[in-house]
Amino acid sequence: MVWLQGSALGHAMRESGVWTYGVVNLVHILGVAALFGALLVLDLRLLGVWRNISLAAISEPTVPIATIGFLIAAASGVCLLATKATEYVGNPFLYIKFPAIALGLLNVAALNSLAAWRQRKLRDLSAHEQSKLAVIGGISLVSWLTAITAGRMIAYW
Amino acid sequence: MYSRLSFGICAAVLTFSLSAPPAWAHHGWGGNSEEEFELSGIVETGVSLAGPHATMKIKAADGKVWDLTLAPPAATSRAGLKEGIIPVGATVSIHGHRNLDPSRLEVKTERVTWNGRTFNVYPDRK
Repeated sequence: MVWLQGSALGHAMRESGVWTYGVVNLVHILGVAALFGALLVLDLRLLGVWRNISLAAISEPTVPIATIGFLIAAASGVCLLATKATEYVGNPFLYIKFPAIALGLLNVAALNSLAAWRQRKLRDLSAHEQSKLAVIGGISLVSWLTAITAGRMIAYW
Repeated sequence: MYSRLSFGICAAVLTFSLSAPPAWAHHGWGGNSEEEFELSGIVETGVSLAGPHATMKIKAADGKVWDLTLAPPAATSRAGLKEGIIPVGATVSIHGHRNLDPSRLEVKTERVTWNGRTFNVYPDRK
């Protein structure tokens, strides 16, 4: 944290004008909105809502939007943290947020390792495979909602 | 059937997550005492216009260092309180509201007075 705050990024965030933090904060929110909006649709589909739309079709827009949203949120988030990184040491919400993000990313890795997910565009999935995907969708919703909730609460501690 | 059940579960999770307990400290003034608070001290760390709020640190007569949370950077700057205006080591007096947690030496600061000049960073508050 001390290193991050003292880094060139930390200096840039602190010394480049009074609107910098607000604008980077806006970018962070837009990234989170894209990430969560897209994964909400995908996760609900994995949980079994909108069965009339194929998983292959619904994953077409949602996966890239969620991925890009995550990258935007992560990049802007590091900038926000670098501004006064040491101030967040001891903030309990930070210790909820980052493990929740880690769980969300591990869950993405688990999804990508499932044959059912990789072959979604090639064949119909069995009921057993669909329930496996539903578990992934549930874990995803819980982990990202936890990350966003804890993230928002950091400011109120 | 299964689809409806899972939708219900999701709706419940969403509702729970979005309804933050009302007792939680709120950004703004909810985490601070209602009582007006005044303090004088020597500037330990000058004004920083970085982050969600501008900040500075002052050392009180008893040697304790207080964190002053000012308005957001743009508003603090508009009030004339820019970085480097008040030198480190200068004596200032401030007016604001203490953190509700008595163990935290933090004041959400509305006004800073130095050298006969008052910087009213929250002009809408008394």
